[in-house]
Amino acid sequence: MGGSGATMKLYESMATEDVKQLALREPVLASADETVKAAIGKMRARKLGCVIVIDSDRKPVGIFTESMLTQLLITDPAGVADKLATRMSSHCPVVRETDLVSRVLQSMQVENTRFLAVVDGEGRVTGLTGQKGLMEYIADHFPQQVLVQRVGSRPPQEREGA
Amino acid sequence: MPLSSDPGDFQDPLENYDADTYDDELERALAEEKVSVIQSIPFATTTPDTPVGEAVEVLANLHGGCLLVEKDDRLVGVVTDRDVLDKIALEYDDLRGRTVGGVMTRDPVFVYQTDSLAAALTVMAVSGYRYVPVVDRDEKIRGIVSPQRVTGYLRRVFDAE
Repeated sequence: MGGSGATMKLYESMATEDVKQLALREPVLASADETVKAAIGKMRARKLGCVIVIDSDRKPVGIFTESMLTQLLITDPAGVADKLATRMSSHCPVVRETDLVSRVLQSMQVENTRFLAVVDGEGRVTGLTGQKGLMEYIADHFPQQVLVQRVGSRPPQEREGA
Repeated sequence: MPLSSDPGDFQDPLENYDADTYDDELERALAEEKVSVIQSIPFATTTPDTPVGEAVEVLANLHGGCLLVEKDDRLVGVVTDRDVLDKIALEYDDLRGRTVGGVMTRDPVFVYQTDSLAAALTVMAVSGYRYVPVVDRDEKIRGIVSPQRVTGYLRRVFDAE
């Protein structure tokens, strides 16, 4: 977790360090021809809340998230048998590896999303970041404030995904 | 009896105290602000005996991703989009008529209204939960801190720098 800027000030770090300094996650990838049901299985297995739908060149063509799944269940439960192509959002929020960490914060708010696919210079998916990665980055840069906090209840047995 | 026989003997326990200083507003906010600076309302609640199908419908219409479960005026669990993914989605026909108590995440990690902002981030970054219920000292639900609300707050502070 964290990069070379761990001793830098938080604001300065976010304004100067790039996305690669975040603890990127290996995304769950799928093709548009796969079913929602198959995507659910992958997301469960990897404990991630989204699947990035890619083309044959590994470029993102859509995203299917757990919140979309909740929507699907109340509108058309049988839709879990459909192909992702018909149920995904064709807009997959992305950041480039060379974008600044501050861009992640901006994109998450503007796009109203927790998930951002990370792409290389060719637009190919190389990782996944988002709210969890950003919180970990902040914790890494400011551990004396974050890591020693008492919080209520019992700690979870498993951490959620990005 | 006086506390000290000679006022000249008094030693101020704070005479060597130096207030913390911060290099930027983000650090100050993390160190000093309370959870209450982050918007935590509105929030939605349900009960353990509510049918799963009804709870999923409320969750879907929330656009918020987390339903707080209360019993006897106290927080006893949460139902999130992750619970839907992990426990409900592929078994929806069987589960929709059963009750929330059987699928909710019990005893969720929470913060008090008076906890620091850093405490909420701890739940997200270290404990790994995305939605953080906010309770008062009687553990009555007072709100919920969501990813969207945290990023909104952080961005306002960041942009103000």
